[in-house]
Amino acid sequence: MEGPQDIVSFFVIYALLLKASLTSFSGLGSLPMVRQDFVVERQAFTDRQLNTAVVAGRTGPGPYGLYLVCAGYLAGGIPGALAGLLALITPAFLVIPLMRWLGRRAENPRIRNAIRGLLLAAAGLLVSSSVPLTLDAVTGPFSLVVLVASFVLLTFTKIDSALLMGGSALAGLATLLFR
Amino acid sequence: MTGQTSSPPPSLGRLTEIFFRIGNTTFGGGYITIGMLGRELVDTRRWISSDKFDLAFALARVTPGTNLIAFCAAVGEQICGVAGAIAAVLALTVPSAVVAVLFIYGFEAGQTNPIAMAAIGGTVAAVAGMMWSTIWTILRPHVGGALRNLQVVLIAGSAFIAARYFGVTPLPIIAAGTLIGFLWKDPKTS
Repeated sequence: MEGPQDIVSFFVIYALLLKASLTSFSGLGSLPMVRQDFVVERQAFTDRQLNTAVVAGRTGPGPYGLYLVCAGYLAGGIPGALAGLLALITPAFLVIPLMRWLGRRAENPRIRNAIRGLLLAAAGLLVSSSVPLTLDAVTGPFSLVVLVASFVLLTFTKIDSALLMGGSALAGLATLLFR
Repeated sequence: MTGQTSSPPPSLGRLTEIFFRIGNTTFGGGYITIGMLGRELVDTRRWISSDKFDLAFALARVTPGTNLIAFCAAVGEQICGVAGAIAAVLALTVPSAVVAVLFIYGFEAGQTNPIAMAAIGGTVAAVAGMMWSTIWTILRPHVGGALRNLQVVLIAGSAFIAARYFGVTPLPIIAAGTLIGFLWKDPKTS
């Protein structure tokens, strides 16, 4: 049965992940805010665990933002995962009033410029978050090669990201043979 | 894709089944899933016109959160109303979320196992590469031309410096970026 502490945690996790989700415009765009709230401020989990959450979200099918469910799980177990799922899907329903009332105004230059500014700021934030996660991920020449190969394959080819995850896991296993 | 619908709207159960099947068996990201849904909903079943499908795609991109989920909400709403939006979103996300939790549980449980840690080490490095690829994907449409490049460097660069070296939290940075974008127009649109 859920205790008072769990209920508080559920709503706190939901609120923090919803804030991250509401201020991003792509699956991984919420990463800087999740890292700030859960890794830096609350130490609910580590950079390595956040990386693992992204891996878990990408290993199966479904949208990129699924890592929020995993982040919720790391912060609060199954109730946290449920909070993460709710935070992931809540902003999506904003599209319904947008469809009904905004319609073609999405092409308005002012609106488009504001979104562009938002996306550029989000990219800068993503760089800021990616630096410590990259430093955590790169533990030697092997991981550096995997990182660069992953970037090149995802950026310049149409490789399935699940295939890339499977391949990099196999490459990680292969390193055991050379130890 | 055709511009007109010719089929009556489906039952909620039928709509849910389509989103469940395509959303949870398609790997490779949002665009692939959207392409599959377009083939099924517009071309094959004609439950929604290509115009409305395209509008849903455009508006999903400016809706906060994950674009693919907003897209499914928009298309589900167009076909079966608000209940359709809820059904489409849940059918897309709940099964994948269960799989993701099983993966993270397995990864956490394997922390002391050297074989599991070697596999996780490889994937963690690949995820770091994925993040840099995402950054490039966000920036790529906004570069080209001296003034546009200057905007990219100033807005994205300032956001990076503010967050990394001055500890500014993401929310005010996002707000400032949006305001600057609103006031400083993109040369391409002028």
